[in-house]
Amino acid sequence: MHQKEIKTDMPFLSIKDLKVEYKSDGQIVHAVNDVSLQLERGKTLGLVGETGAGKTTIAKSILRILPDIGSHIANGEIYLEGENLLKLSENDMRKIRGNKVSMIFQDPMTALNPVLRVGDQIAEVVSLHSDNNNRAEHEKRAKEMLEIVGIPAERYYAYPHQFSGGMKQRVVIAIALACNPDLLLADEPTTALDVTIQAQVLDLIAELRNKYNTAMLLITHDMGVVAQVCDTVAVIYAGSIIEYGTKQQIFKHPSHPYTIGLFGAIPDMNEDEEWLHPIDGLPPDPTNLPQGCSFSPRCKFATDACRKEAIGMYKTQDGHDCRCCCIEAVMKGED
Amino acid sequence: MNPVIEVTNLKKYFTTPRGMLHAVDDVTFTIERGRTLGVVGESGCGKSTLGRTIIHLHESTEGQILLNGKDVTNLKGKDLRQAREKMQIIFQDPYSSLDPRKTIDSTIREPLIVSRHFTKSQIDQKTQELMDLVGIDERLRKAYPHELDGGRRQRVGIARALALEPEFIVCDEPVSALDVSIQAQVLNLLKKLQKEKGLTYMFVTHDMSVVRHISDDICVMYLGQVVEKCSSKELFQNPLHPYTRALLSAIPSTDIDKPNKREILRGEITSPVNPKPGCRFAARCPYANEECLKLQKQEEVSPGHFVRCCRLQEISSSYN
Repeated sequence: MHQKEIKTDMPFLSIKDLKVEYKSDGQIVHAVNDVSLQLERGKTLGLVGETGAGKTTIAKSILRILPDIGSHIANGEIYLEGENLLKLSENDMRKIRGNKVSMIFQDPMTALNPVLRVGDQIAEVVSLHSDNNNRAEHEKRAKEMLEIVGIPAERYYAYPHQFSGGMKQRVVIAIALACNPDLLLADEPTTALDVTIQAQVLDLIAELRNKYNTAMLLITHDMGVVAQVCDTVAVIYAGSIIEYGTKQQIFKHPSHPYTIGLFGAIPDMNEDEEWLHPIDGLPPDPTNLPQGCSFSPRCKFATDACRKEAIGMYKTQDGHDCRCCCIEAVMKGED
Repeated sequence: MNPVIEVTNLKKYFTTPRGMLHAVDDVTFTIERGRTLGVVGESGCGKSTLGRTIIHLHESTEGQILLNGKDVTNLKGKDLRQAREKMQIIFQDPYSSLDPRKTIDSTIREPLIVSRHFTKSQIDQKTQELMDLVGIDERLRKAYPHELDGGRRQRVGIARALALEPEFIVCDEPVSALDVSIQAQVLNLLKKLQKEKGLTYMFVTHDMSVVRHISDDICVMYLGQVVEKCSSKELFQNPLHPYTRALLSAIPSTDIDKPNKREILRGEITSPVNPKPGCRFAARCPYANEECLKLQKQEEVSPGHFVRCCRLQEISSSYN
């Protein structure tokens, strides 16, 4: 029998020192480096960062759906309700996937099976996690889910190609929510959608989250979506969290030079400016991360100390975490 | 007044098994030299088709296109090739719009060779100038597209479009595949080039903050039609068409103190196949009534501000 080790004094989801590596062409890609974060029930944590920062890898590690070949979790612990998911057997893990923890994938065009009816794809999750074999009941639940996400139940028998992008994404959401998960991993759930449809989908997710007190990890690169939806925010750069705090702290007092640069690069909707302020340079090659701070090659505040050894988390004035040893110089430079 | 592009009643229909798809329906506008017209709308509204039809990647169904006052609507063969030197396009996806088997150098060089205007040494020199102009390192000259990141690839696309010194460039979502920090680099480059060379842009995008930043004038498209057209400033200060208002209110704001006052639209974009004569937005419009089923005319509500909505008078009083 598998021994379950349950710690009770922990937050709902707690990730400690997670490190994930991929192997590619004989080189090691350092996708996630010592990521730690916590999430409580009913709250939403935003993971923000650019392409290749490791956001999706973190979410996939929680569900343990990283590809078997070529990737491995080198270090770390992931506790859900005090239970270390990385220690569970594959069998136990399968009971959690889609049930207690589920994921909304980024691209609704490829996340659905094109040769199965959409309703059956929802019913599949329900029946997998149900203790009976009552097909009619599972179908009923699937129809209920369709109605919840705003699709008439009679569309149960339609195929994905008969749906628009927004409707497909709703089906993906219906699948993710069919078993009332405690934790929802939403990987860029609205990136492929138009803004008016995005507004509908975000409202839908918020409504369902409030109703079922679901915890949500929202992965996005859109600061506007974060501002609308999240309670806390973790900014990821080159596989590390470089700034971590409440939404108010991050948006009012961004402290890491990268976060400040990220906000500065977005065209302002309220002010006219002749030129934008891009961050110079490019994100580092994850097979060959720079020594010390991984942002130092692009950072105008970088000193020799930044390039030497790994940088720890520092507390900023208002008490949120920032992985920058020049934080005082940065704050002065900003004022 | 020095218009580079004048488009009058342009239509582009595609024949599909289900009927006529009205991708671009009766679009009229002019773009002055050195200015940027932003075209915004959601996927499937015909904004890319419009850009491609203007530079003849699609044959237009009806209407007229003038380039520097000269009719280029039905050009063919050699005349078309000459006209095309003056109008270029930068494509949306820097991953699929470059030939994976050509080096950066030969991609940029190709239009110069095809034009037959230059000698070998002129081509060498021009290629070098173009690479410097868009900021691609010399060491990447012999690199292949897969070795470059999205931002650099898009710079190659820009260099290729600039090779024959065009006057008019259609920018078809040139930054939507890029991260914000890289997006800002490319937008600055496009703006700098416009200033230096007096380029005229038609900038197609779905990102309202980008379009606001780069455009002088903006057309809002919905299902093939322009529903609102005015200066960039006016559009964001005083949006009038119900669709424009919904579109603007749906953008998630990064200001956490001002939660969005959203006008959430019901339903989704309807089919552009065999559309009914009335307002195409009526099915989703919160203000629609039977009047909207009639043909809608574009009206100038204030100088330079055009709106296609018959009930504007009534409903605009309810805006706050």
